[in-house]
Amino acid sequence: MISYNVIGQPIVRSDGFEKVTGRAQYTGDLKLPGMLWGKVLRSPFAHARIIRVDTSRAVGLPGVHAVLTGDDTRGVRYGRRLFDVPPLAEERVLFAGERVAAVAAESMEIAQNAIDLIEVEYDPLPAIADPLESMKGDAFLLHPDVNDYVGLPKKLEKVSNVFVTNTWGKGELDTGFAQADHILERTYTTPLVHQAYLEPHSCVVFIDEDQRIQIWAANKAPFALRQQLAAAIGVDEDRIRLNPTYIGGDFGGKGSPMDVPLVYFLALHSKRPVRMVMDYVEEFTAANPRHPSVTTVRSGVLNDGTLTAWEARIIFNSGAYGGFKPGVNLGGARDVAGPYKIPHTFVEAIQVYTNSVPGGHMRGPGEPQGIFAGESHLDEIARILGIDPLEFRLKNLVGEGDVTATGSLYRDVKAKETLEAASMAARYGSPLAMNVGRGMAMGARAPGGGETHVGVIFQKDGTVVARTPILDQGTGTYTTVNQVVAEELGLSSDKVQIIPWNTDAVSFDTGIGGSRGTRVASQAAYAAAQNAKQELLRAASEIRGWDPSNLVLKDNKVYKGNTEDYIDFDFVVQNCGFDIQGTSGIEDREQLTVTAFCAQIAEVAVDVETGQIKLLRFTSAHDVGQVLNPIGHQGQINGGVVQGIGYALMEELEVEDGRVSNVTFGDYKIPTMADIPELRTVLVQSKNGVGPYNIKGIGENTNTAVAAAIANAVEDAIGVRVYSLPITAEKVLAALRESNV
Amino acid sequence: MHDFTVHHPQSLQETLILLDRFGDAAQLIAGGTALMNFMKQSLLLPEHIINLQRVQGLQHIQSTKDEVRIGAMVKHREIEKSNLIQNEVPILASTYRRVATIRIRNMATIGGGLAHADPAQDPPSTLVALNARIRIASISGERTISIMDLFQNYYENSLMPGEMITEVIIPSMHSDTKSTYLKFLPRTADDYATVSVSLIATLNENIVRDVRIGLGAVAPTPIRATIAEETLKGHAISDELIQQASNSVAQQVDPLDDFRGSADYKRDMAIVFTKRALQQVLQGPS
Amino acid sequence: MAKLHVETTINGESTEILVDPQQSLLETLRDGLMLTGAKEGCNDGNCGACTVIMDGRTVNSCLVLGAEAQDADITTIEGLATPRGLHPLQQAFLENAALQCGICTPGFLISSKSLLDSNPNPSEEEVRFWLAGNLCRCTGYDKIVRAVLDAAKEMKAGN
Repeated sequence: MISYNVIGQPIVRSDGFEKVTGRAQYTGDLKLPGMLWGKVLRSPFAHARIIRVDTSRAVGLPGVHAVLTGDDTRGVRYGRRLFDVPPLAEERVLFAGERVAAVAAESMEIAQNAIDLIEVEYDPLPAIADPLESMKGDAFLLHPDVNDYVGLPKKLEKVSNVFVTNTWGKGELDTGFAQADHILERTYTTPLVHQAYLEPHSCVVFIDEDQRIQIWAANKAPFALRQQLAAAIGVDEDRIRLNPTYIGGDFGGKGSPMDVPLVYFLALHSKRPVRMVMDYVEEFTAANPRHPSVTTVRSGVLNDGTLTAWEARIIFNSGAYGGFKPGVNLGGARDVAGPYKIPHTFVEAIQVYTNSVPGGHMRGPGEPQGIFAGESHLDEIARILGIDPLEFRLKNLVGEGDVTATGSLYRDVKAKETLEAASMAARYGSPLAMNVGRGMAMGARAPGGGETHVGVIFQKDGTVVARTPILDQGTGTYTTVNQVVAEELGLSSDKVQIIPWNTDAVSFDTGIGGSRGTRVASQAAYAAAQNAKQELLRAASEIRGWDPSNLVLKDNKVYKGNTEDYIDFDFVVQNCGFDIQGTSGIEDREQLTVTAFCAQIAEVAVDVETGQIKLLRFTSAHDVGQVLNPIGHQGQINGGVVQGIGYALMEELEVEDGRVSNVTFGDYKIPTMADIPELRTVLVQSKNGVGPYNIKGIGENTNTAVAAAIANAVEDAIGVRVYSLPITAEKVLAALRESNV
Repeated sequence: MHDFTVHHPQSLQETLILLDRFGDAAQLIAGGTALMNFMKQSLLLPEHIINLQRVQGLQHIQSTKDEVRIGAMVKHREIEKSNLIQNEVPILASTYRRVATIRIRNMATIGGGLAHADPAQDPPSTLVALNARIRIASISGERTISIMDLFQNYYENSLMPGEMITEVIIPSMHSDTKSTYLKFLPRTADDYATVSVSLIATLNENIVRDVRIGLGAVAPTPIRATIAEETLKGHAISDELIQQASNSVAQQVDPLDDFRGSADYKRDMAIVFTKRALQQVLQGPS
Repeated sequence: MAKLHVETTINGESTEILVDPQQSLLETLRDGLMLTGAKEGCNDGNCGACTVIMDGRTVNSCLVLGAEAQDADITTIEGLATPRGLHPLQQAFLENAALQCGICTPGFLISSKSLLDSNPNPSEEEVRFWLAGNLCRCTGYDKIVRAVLDAAKEMKAGN
């Protein structure tokens, strides 16, 4: 076992000082000279024709520098891959909250007054909010021209509101079902939920004297945003520069261009910098929330508990547009079939346009929806067969050499070990009081791949600056880079400062997300540090005439071999006569053969008179490689579990006629400090991670199986199951009453 | 926000003169937690805001032999922490403690909260069970009403133009009175109640001598469960009596479907929590 | 609308500021005084990201009129550290990883300071009760609780 000095230590996060002193600058904190405030007028109707937009009174208001309608942005379409989103609606609005007009003005008050002076005449049209309705053959088409859209993965043979379909599977379903002793079919639904990052979407756009488009935005994938904007407005990418700022939470929701294209046009027309910050009503109504889903699972099983067949269809409500998903569909849907060795499977996930707020990515996109259905279903089969859910899972879980239900083959499979670790830590099987139950669920996620760069530059004062275009929206990527660079250069972590790069500095960075941060950043930091180290050793060897291959970096010094002879690090930097630095560019998109398993067990008490669920404790077991920073790692687990608890028990954006109706944190509830139970974490050590430090990802796994574990615990406690999220007290009581009838 | 002028009267008389002068064009601001949001959402656009923070004579918590008097500008947090209230009217302190968050309780006032007339708030059902009275002042004089007469409908109080609440008067609780405030929060610890029950009772051995039950979040105004009260008064406590009394609240509640529960669920929960309050107070340890 | 002259004390310094009467205290601090540590999250009193201490009590600065700063004693996150160094709470937050994206952190630090000012030795339950009004979406709260308890211990040890 290698022992490290900095890696594996709970060092303080690199950006911590700035954040605890209030100095960290987020996009909404920025002030540029001459900056204007942007504001949007949004449609109150879920579907309507725009007959007339009269902006004359707004244009005439003193202090207003730009007023735009769909005429000013006609034809522009943008998205993360499917370019179907207009900056401003043109002939029709397709969801309540869609942007219809925008202004830029000297103050927030003037901007709001200008918005109030814009008159819009709508002709309301029938709206379809339900994807099951929207899928029908006779439903009107939200996007009749969808086959012409840039980025549509596959042209539709017959144009419908179902604009993308993905399938996974293996074997022959008919064979699997024919073999089965029991067949079970159930349907599960999950609601619209919001990422609820506390910093709303914000951006500042400024076209400078060189006609470069300078952007600061709460967006965690700046190079992708640069590409998307350039393509949408028809300019060369190098005219656009994304400048790094801190991001106040993301969870998948800050990867979309959102208002940036529109604010570009406001900046263009007003010839001033323009800032736009969504207020939280706008966030809840019109950002890019987690997709609602309706999933039907049909399974076949033998009497002894062996699964023979698994068929699942997931219908995602995409809302009015598909542009806020980088994959157009949600790949996590395949996890409805989980890490199990089922021989005959078929999973189909479809995206359906409806007159509702467009969905985006949220922590493990598609997985919480799929896993809620799949893991709930597994538990139900187990109980019907009279087999303990733990035994049932152990029987069907993949082991070394097994292919998963959707065709993945991993090595160093720790699925069973992770589940067993969870069950031990949760004291699964120990007696429980009446109306108290335990439930489990599993997930698996490999760290995502991508591309990034790191530059390591030695400073004359003996410190090191590490530069990277990867941003840190809270997950700790800067700290990862810091620790790796410090470790490889034999420095203490306080000698390494992270300064992010803007998009001019390097060619590309995939952006933070997809649990790729540690995998990609650690490799890039390692390579850059190695390159820089070579340069440093060369410099040291020149100063003292040493053999560079025999030098050791340790404790801020350069040692000659195993001797006590050394030069101080900063002495080398100050006296070598050239700038010492090393850079790297890493592109690692390899489909991994290792994954990280997660097993979670919830323990709940149910008040059978009210249906209220009290979460007593929650155990989370994770299959990890090397953990670079234990407290940062635990923080990701805690945060993900609490988000999962919110999804399971309380979060739902309620939609009436396509319009979101709970639009404040007073009505849309996320867990508070008083809502969380005792959390136990157990880490299962694996030797096969990725990269020089054998790491695995942690960002998303922690939140995807929580709801299923809780649903299963409720069934264990009181013998009834709730098939839709959130599992509210009212639903539990109704289920209890139905079962007693 | 829109254009407005803020006035800072120093006395009640000054305040009433301003209210009279500006009429509909003015709004009073106490803690600000409701009005600021209304203004930000453009639901209320007063030209004049009369800020009560510096008005003398509205900040007291006093007790006499028979009653406790609380000035309209006393903050929730002050009531929560007041030794006098904790001793004389403990259910009031424990009710105010359940409101929202500490920051809100640091800002919101008893008078402002009541004038807001939101039946889902915590204090109204307790003040209703306490038979509180509300002192109201205008340029023409003063009047005192029962708290039940203050609330007319959701967000509608019975104050006439030019009137404001100046004081809340609460009859002292007898030393042998027992009470409890139950707030049902099925969703999260920080929320308005799905239903709430305020119970104040005095027992004579096993017999219910007096009982008052205030219910919140189950009707357009806070209500008294008078049928349940009549069922209980003068009778010996038993499980059957408690169940019978609790069931009767279903006839008096009139809840709405909202984010905290459907009307049917709230009706059922009003019964459950009335029962739990009665069990706790009438059958629990003394 | 003409600006108001307001005399106030911010982070221990008496100062006269110009306040736009239509603005909240939060907007006055952020836009007028460039004190951007207090954050605009929900802007309606629910999230706590805008928390400041005003005359010894924590308030939602998004729900206070800027003009109310008159004669008030206001503490913001910018006033927590001293020339001698970070406040024990700030240090404890760093050491316990009680922050990730950091946007809720100023509000939590101010609320925690207010707690420890009035109750230097809180139990865990008291910490959870006091801070239940501040929302955090990243950390899952547990490390924040540890940090506050650690800071209390540190401060009691007489630092």
